[in-house]
Amino acid sequence: MPDPTTTTTEAPVTDPTSATPGLHLDVRGSTPGGATVFDVRDTSVYYGDFRAVRDVNLTVKQHQITAFIGPSGCGKSTMLRCFNRMNDLIDTARVEGQISYHGVDLYDPAVNPVEVRRRIGMVFQKPNPFPKSIYENVAYGPKVAGAKGDMDEIVERALRGAALWDEVKDRLKESGMSLSGGQQQRLCIARAIATDPEVLLMDEPCSALDPIATGRIEDLMLEIKQQFTIIIVTHNMQQAARVSDRTAFFTTEVNEESDHRTGMLVEFAETDKIFSNPDDERTENYVTGRFG
Amino acid sequence: MLVRRSFQEELDQLRLQVELMGVKVDHNLERLRVVLADGDEVAAAAAVACDDEIDAMNVSLTERCYELLVREGPVASDLRFIVSVLRILSELERIGDLALRVVKLNPERRLWSSTAVTFDILVSMGEVAVEAYRDALRAWSAQDLELATDLATRVRVMDLHYERLTAELLRLRGDDAVRIATATLIAGRSLERIADHAAIIGARLRYLLTGDPDHLSAEVR
Repeated sequence: MPDPTTTTTEAPVTDPTSATPGLHLDVRGSTPGGATVFDVRDTSVYYGDFRAVRDVNLTVKQHQITAFIGPSGCGKSTMLRCFNRMNDLIDTARVEGQISYHGVDLYDPAVNPVEVRRRIGMVFQKPNPFPKSIYENVAYGPKVAGAKGDMDEIVERALRGAALWDEVKDRLKESGMSLSGGQQQRLCIARAIATDPEVLLMDEPCSALDPIATGRIEDLMLEIKQQFTIIIVTHNMQQAARVSDRTAFFTTEVNEESDHRTGMLVEFAETDKIFSNPDDERTENYVTGRFG
Repeated sequence: MLVRRSFQEELDQLRLQVELMGVKVDHNLERLRVVLADGDEVAAAAAVACDDEIDAMNVSLTERCYELLVREGPVASDLRFIVSVLRILSELERIGDLALRVVKLNPERRLWSSTAVTFDILVSMGEVAVEAYRDALRAWSAQDLELATDLATRVRVMDLHYERLTAELLRLRGDDAVRIATATLIAGRSLERIADHAAIIGARLRYLLTGDPDHLSAEVR
């Protein structure tokens, strides 16, 4: 089993074009800006008998940044991993309800999860470059996916897209591990966008970075949202307020009998509203730091 | 689990200190009324001293707000509260200045009171201004949305008084007419502005309590 903390390009790749013809996922450009990319309906995620998150309903719009916030254990990362079927890699995980991607049921048995992960890339909390050269880190995914065309161009485009090209263009053969933490995270973003995905899932991408590196990643997110649709999980509420268009606030509810905590979506709205005048008192208490 | 208790305590303290500053302004409005009615020079001197205290409180509480903004990074109702306090502090300070402007016209009182009709209007305007201000102070103390809404939307009796005052002053004739009109108009305009600032406090309180930014438009002057 691949390391689930790596980017999508490390997922077990078979034939990325093997999805059933009727369930083509390559729909970028087929919908106008602001169109719905994901439509989540009554979705719950279980690990065995334990329901980790329940009854989520939300939509993710194209070329927007959608932030998931909430206390630890509220199910926001679990929910994020549903969007590229990363939970498939956990034997006991089960998703109920429906998650549509441009109208296609992501969990339809006919949909190839590898193709899903190529379309929907992921960047993780801790930068995790391969112990290979900067060039190889970026080229790996496109090579495995059988990309046609000039690989040098693909690598340069991805590194430029991740605002890293100018810093590394003269040392592409050096190890990716030699870069600073912030550069490593941008290398991981370059790696994720090298396979030309439509969506980027980011799971606390700045939590291991200093404020300057965090600022660069945030600037980058705002630049690349013209090309991608981004969903970010963050504990940094100012980050959510700074970069996202819409914000979903999750919290936990405790079952008194079993003491199990189940995550749930409390409120989903324009980010301005969530941070200025949320409808739900639980959201207000969380964003103002009253309850954790 | 309830957290950030000390921040909450600081916000509570800030609310009470704004109220305290409001009470000082109220004292000066009471002095204004006394000076207006009978030219009490002791009350006029006390008003000048009290205004210095109001100004000092304004500076000190404004700095406290800036400190909280920097330190706490407030959002939602906390942010609305602090930015509203900043606005209300400035309104209170302005009301204090306007009251003092009228009090400082005391040496000219002979001119105001020389014409019964305009003097009566001026006294009525003083009553309306003080009443509006006291409603604003009560609304703030109780965080009373109903009273705040009433303040921000009530029919402006003050405008009618001011129009009448202007019309009556235009009728004045005689050697002192211009001096009487000037002094009375300065006092009348100050009283009218006090009521305006009280209405702005009501509008700001509505924004604070509801989060609806439409209420901010009522503050545009």
